[in-house]
Amino acid sequence: MDNEAGKNNKVPFEEDNYTHNIHKNNERQLDRRGFLKTMVGAAGVFAVSTLPWGGLAAKELMGFGQSSHPKKKIADVQALKVGEAVEFHYPGDHESALLIRLGDNKYKAYQNACTHLKCPVFWSREEDQLVCPCHHGFFDPQSGKPTAGPPRRALPEVVVEIEGGAIYATGVKRYET
Amino acid sequence: MKRSYRGVILLSVVLFLNIVCTQYVVNHYFHEKYELVLVFALLNVLLFPLALWIYKKEVRR
Ligand code: FES
Repeated sequence: MDNEAGKNNKVPFEEDNYTHNIHKNNERQLDRRGFLKTMVGAAGVFAVSTLPWGGLAAKELMGFGQSSHPKKKIADVQALKVGEAVEFHYPGDHESALLIRLGDNKYKAYQNACTHLKCPVFWSREEDQLVCPCHHGFFDPQSGKPTAGPPRRALPEVVVEIEGGAIYATGVKRYET
Repeated sequence: MKRSYRGVILLSVVLFLNIVCTQYVVNHYFHEKYELVLVFALLNVLLFPLALWIYKKEVRR
């Protein structure tokens, strides 16, 4: 068999550089125009990707997403002595919170996920502070503000009400910076 | 052909503003300032036609 037959007599050119399938002149170059196109495309991606956030915000503004916090019983007044704390979950089942009885008629409740890295914060009666064991963060029980350690933001406060010998959670205060 | 980086620079600015706006959108969302979320989301969307306009102008030159 001879070599010419192997080419089937149909290969119309000397195939030596494997680039015959590149037709456009500048196909192998990223020219300025192509780069500009990519940039415009990126701007488009940004635009599209903010749409869901806008939608969610609009929903929230129109009141659909209004997570009306349910009223939830935390504990009986009898069961909680002054200076003690009890853990509960509010508003969801996976959001733990802490109720502290600071005085005869003074209750404070906070969502107790540390504002640093979400470790659970606990109430230390000896130190009269909320303590985060993870990196020694401390919070003021009166306001929820951080007093020492890495946390910089206050714990979100849960609004409580006393009614007929029981303590109820009725809402979460808006997060303020 | 004279070399011009104007389009590239302008579009870089647009993309930078995109990043800034996106960042603000997310942050304001978590801070529950929903009006501001809408403002920045709108800005971000408006930047796209602007980018397109810059591109068209640059190509025509
Ligand atoms: S998680 Fe609480 S101090 Fe770091």
